[in-house]
Amino acid sequence: MDPFLTSRIVTDVLSGLTNGVTYGLVALSLVLIWRSTGVLNFAQGAMPMFATYLGFAFLSYHFGYWACVVACVIAGLLLGGLTERFLVRGLYGKPEINPIVVMVGFLIVLEAVAAAIWSSTPRSLPSPFSAIHWQLAGKPFALSPFTVYEIATALVVMALVAALFRFTKLGLQLRASALAPEVSRLLGVRVGRLLTLGWMLSTAVGVITAILVSANFFSGLTPTVMDGIFAYGFIAAAIGGLESPVGAIVAGVLLGVVNQFVTDFVNQNAVIIIALGILVVSLMVRPSGVFTKSSQRRV
Amino acid sequence: MKLIAVRRRVPIAIAIAVAVTIIALVAASTTREGIALSIAFDLAVACGIAMSVPGFKADHPVVSRAALTLLALDVAIFLTFFFSSSTNFNLATGAAMSIVLLGLSFLTGASGQISLGNGAFMGVGAFAMAIWANHHATTPIVLTLLIAVACGALVGLLLGLPATRLRGPYLAGMTLAFAVAFTFILSSFSSWTGGDSGLQLPTAATAPRWLDGFFHAGTPPLTTTTLYITDVAIIVAGVAFFFMANLFASRTGRSMRLIRDNDVAAELVGVSLPRTRVVAFIVSSAYAALGGALLTLIDNSVSPPTYSFALSVTILSLIVIGGIGTISGALIGGVIYAFSTNVISWITTQTGLNPQGNLASQLNGIIFGGLLILTMLFAPFGITGAARQLWHRLRARFPR
Repeated sequence: MDPFLTSRIVTDVLSGLTNGVTYGLVALSLVLIWRSTGVLNFAQGAMPMFATYLGFAFLSYHFGYWACVVACVIAGLLLGGLTERFLVRGLYGKPEINPIVVMVGFLIVLEAVAAAIWSSTPRSLPSPFSAIHWQLAGKPFALSPFTVYEIATALVVMALVAALFRFTKLGLQLRASALAPEVSRLLGVRVGRLLTLGWMLSTAVGVITAILVSANFFSGLTPTVMDGIFAYGFIAAAIGGLESPVGAIVAGVLLGVVNQFVTDFVNQNAVIIIALGILVVSLMVRPSGVFTKSSQRRV
Repeated sequence: MKLIAVRRRVPIAIAIAVAVTIIALVAASTTREGIALSIAFDLAVACGIAMSVPGFKADHPVVSRAALTLLALDVAIFLTFFFSSSTNFNLATGAAMSIVLLGLSFLTGASGQISLGNGAFMGVGAFAMAIWANHHATTPIVLTLLIAVACGALVGLLLGLPATRLRGPYLAGMTLAFAVAFTFILSSFSSWTGGDSGLQLPTAATAPRWLDGFFHAGTPPLTTTTLYITDVAIIVAGVAFFFMANLFASRTGRSMRLIRDNDVAAELVGVSLPRTRVVAFIVSSAYAALGGALLTLIDNSVSPPTYSFALSVTILSLIVIGGIGTISGALIGGVIYAFSTNVISWITTQTGLNPQGNLASQLNGIIFGGLLILTMLFAPFGITGAARQLWHRLRARFPR
């Protein structure tokens, strides 16, 4: 094959992976909440954005990057827990549009309040690693120290979430209370607490995404930085199946790669249009997602 | 009993009509204005009397709804003569918005699902209107509006087909993706949509010559145009509301409400779930497109930033605050939209905020988002639902 084309394809795949892991993380955080509480959290982009602003406010007190990251995650845990307790708790068992509407309202309020406090001008975050691409034979290569950090962080987070669910007692309880809340309650699982914990966990995963995204993309941190990422994350989660964490991650990564190819070979505007097309087609072919076994709803 | 009531009312009605006509002709400054006034009053009297006949509403529901629509239109148009030109402009946008809200209200009331992309469907109608008018300037306005509606329905079909087969939040998520994608779609087809600057209508909408005589003598042309556009918008909204009220009450509407309340039962009695859901979604998109096309006509131009995701969210807030799933909720939401900008700038001046500051520019989002959450948590059916509850409570306390 033409060496130029080969290098172009390799570059696309690698930068696609970099974007794809962030879509995968958002999709994963959506699936976590959907599986445990049956709520599609439309504020899943805005809540982490808000926590990131809060955490990086410590920059002005001369704290370092890593201290701010820890602060962001703590803010995310708190925000997620408080949201579940005070906003979502009363909505379980209500018609399915009620939580959707409330979370859309929360999205607007968070974005507006963030813009009111910190203004909507982009704020550039410090980065622990250089974003300058490595050179390969005198040409810039697709990877930089920062993108490697990004991919590695995403993989570690995914692995941690998987390990939590698979190997710990807490994970077993989380799965049990999502699958059969009544039975779990009878067996002594404190379902209410675990639902709160699920939201905290999901928001924390979202916060890590938001930190990566607002440092990686040249846009910086803005109140609306997560809007587009959320849309891609939802598309990935819907393609993979809202029930399947693995499906969400795989679909997210693949979507990232496809998007990069579209950007490179078609143009920037076509990316979301083609993503929307993929969503439409995949929902037509496999309505409950590519990675889930479809289940018949019984009367 | 009914016949007697009608027989007694007819001569009274004729007498009132004649009296009103004479008073109007004497009081008005020009003959045409007098005729207009007397027609307005007579229409109101006739509709009012027709509706007050006992049993009429139950026997002739369609005629009764038509009479109610006529009465509302009559009063609204009569009032527009007394409003300032800026108030009329606000009313016109409110009327266009209420059509969009009606579509969303129908979708939720009918299928229990929700769309976050109605702003984008509005955009489809708005741009279809502008593009068609730029290529075929001679097409009558009504026909162009219908073409815009057809475009909205077609896009609704394309998106609704997969999403409506599913339970859960898929329709909401997919329409959200469409709303986010819409501005990119517009710039992809910039040779058609005019890119960032949008499109202008080739000829500004002006009142036909025969209508000019009905306006006050010496009315400035700007006011005349605003008044004309406002009345057109109000009439279109009236027609849209009339059709929707009939659809709500029809067999289709009833089977849709059954799906919302219990889809399993609906399937058992032979209602086709996917087909009904798709139809509901198409109707909602078509209504959104009509509202958007009307907004293009009112603004005389269309620009892409108007139809961003924020508009879809505003639409959702308005209908939730008004009362989702109800017809009157759409009307209330339209009125709120018409005057929200004025109210928010009033709040800004009253609280002494810096109008260019961060907080003042975000006040819209904070207020609407907060109201959205509070309404959903404490009064899920909005102002309409709260009013109905109050009414039932009052009737229980003071039985007739």
